[in-house]
Amino acid sequence: MSTVAITAPDDKKRISTPGIKPKNRARTAGLRRTAVGLAVFAAFLLMWWGVTAAGLIKPLFLPSPGAVWDAAVQANSCRPVAAGAERLVCGEQNYFMWEHLIASLQRIGAGVGMAIVFGVVLGFIMGTIKPINTVIEPYLNFLRSLPPLGYIGLLIVWFGIGDVSKIWLLFLAAFPPVAMATISGVSGIRQDRIHAAQSLGASRWQVLTNVILPSSLSEIFSGIRIAVGFAWTTVVAAELNNGIPGIGGLAYISGTQLQTPLTIACIIVIGIAAIALDVLIKNLGRLLVPWHGKA
Amino acid sequence: MTAVNSGSGTPPVIAGRRVVLDNVSQRYTTDRGDTVHAVSDTSITVESGEFVCIVGPSGCGKSTLMDMLAGFLTPTQGTVTIGGEQVTGPGQDRGVVFQQPNLYPWLSVRKNVELGSKFRKIPASVRHDEAERYLKMVGLEQFMDRKPYELSGGMQQRCQIARVLANDPEIILMDEPFGALDALTRERMQVELLQIWRKRKKTVFFITHSVEEAIFLGTRVVVMSARPGRIILDEAINISDENGSPLGAELRSAPEFVRLRDKVSTAIYEAQGVTGMSPAQH
Repeated sequence: MSTVAITAPDDKKRISTPGIKPKNRARTAGLRRTAVGLAVFAAFLLMWWGVTAAGLIKPLFLPSPGAVWDAAVQANSCRPVAAGAERLVCGEQNYFMWEHLIASLQRIGAGVGMAIVFGVVLGFIMGTIKPINTVIEPYLNFLRSLPPLGYIGLLIVWFGIGDVSKIWLLFLAAFPPVAMATISGVSGIRQDRIHAAQSLGASRWQVLTNVILPSSLSEIFSGIRIAVGFAWTTVVAAELNNGIPGIGGLAYISGTQLQTPLTIACIIVIGIAAIALDVLIKNLGRLLVPWHGKA
Repeated sequence: MTAVNSGSGTPPVIAGRRVVLDNVSQRYTTDRGDTVHAVSDTSITVESGEFVCIVGPSGCGKSTLMDMLAGFLTPTQGTVTIGGEQVTGPGQDRGVVFQQPNLYPWLSVRKNVELGSKFRKIPASVRHDEAERYLKMVGLEQFMDRKPYELSGGMQQRCQIARVLANDPEIILMDEPFGALDALTRERMQVELLQIWRKRKKTVFFITHSVEEAIFLGTRVVVMSARPGRIILDEAINISDENGSPLGAELRSAPEFVRLRDKVSTAIYEAQGVTGMSPAQH
């Protein structure tokens, strides 16, 4: 039997367990994936710890995992101003880290929320009325290609140093992808779908609300996901000036004050929050557009 | 009080509107700059209640003709009028059954069928019952609360037909509606369609590739030539029996059926022959 000779040990194991039910097998595969993920993460931490513990890199450039953890804990707790002192100082920059995070999330929520409303409406108008699309599209592309850091100064001059200019920045960064996705969703609808509704007696408005809007929902959701991603990458830029409380502002300020453990802790928090928000929107999209990919 | 509506419970027959295509042409320019004559100088008058089957080789402008009747396309020349009124766009009076089911995946099967009534703001309870009636008719009563994508292609097509019928259009435009159905369902739908047509006295335009289907269903069979599409045969049919029995062997071997089938087939064959020869003539 030549097959035996070329069967890898791994294959033998699989062959020896044919009695496992498909559901169990899926669960086993899921467990294995989680285990591999954890192992990789542990290896990464170990390497990070090893490099810093061996003194290969100065702590200023790369603090140890423990130092980053301590910075994160300190940023979420109160401690005496000095050893033995009565007065307490809480968090970093007078706010706990989670308060910084909430502040940034609120800005992102406001900016992206406005971007969704405006982007979807503009996308609908541009997607349904060709001449308007032709006129506006170059400006949309122009805005889309601008780096937010380039015009934050201008927004501060216009709207002041407070939250208004920050929300404007997030809005301007987030609305082009929403508008683009809506346009592509609206113009990608099969003509027959619209014709069918018209022949059933639908008015223009009824076609819009009953056919065009639900048809483009799926694309709008992918646009929103991209927009939220942009908003996260923009939030540090938005919080460069007067960005406290704000997780981006904290990351920036701690960097300028050479508190590298805190900077890294902030970066990790931003990354985890961004992934969590993305998963949330993705699942919301699945919930609202269950027919995606099926029809 | 007594004189009006004596006896029978049937509603008074409302004189339907006549459909007239007057010297209609449809030409368009392709991306490469070529002008295509999809339909050329076509005139036809269809009385209310007629069942017109349109056959012809692929690409002969059958669907273009349908699009102009539906109001999706405006003729580049000539006019389409219904009861003397010019067609300027799609409307509830002309129900369209497309080749593709075109159901809305975010609506249940029932909600899809109710859609036309919903557009006309008919009370929910009324349109509910109507939808149920038509879904029973097409044999989908067990699938009313499913989503269209959970149904097979044939079932989706039946759902589309129910949606159009439930909307009670005066004229029904059908573009190869049974093409995707299996033979058995197809026969059943043919019989159902004939029964509805007899009961409701709708005007039907029906595109098909099948000569037998055309002769079985139609009161009139129109053959179109290849591009530029023209009507080359317009034949009245008078054979389908009152019971609307399916296309059985009995009907198929009836001498009148055979004669019509040969006549229509020959016309289609000649229509294709013209395209086959034209490049050589240049």
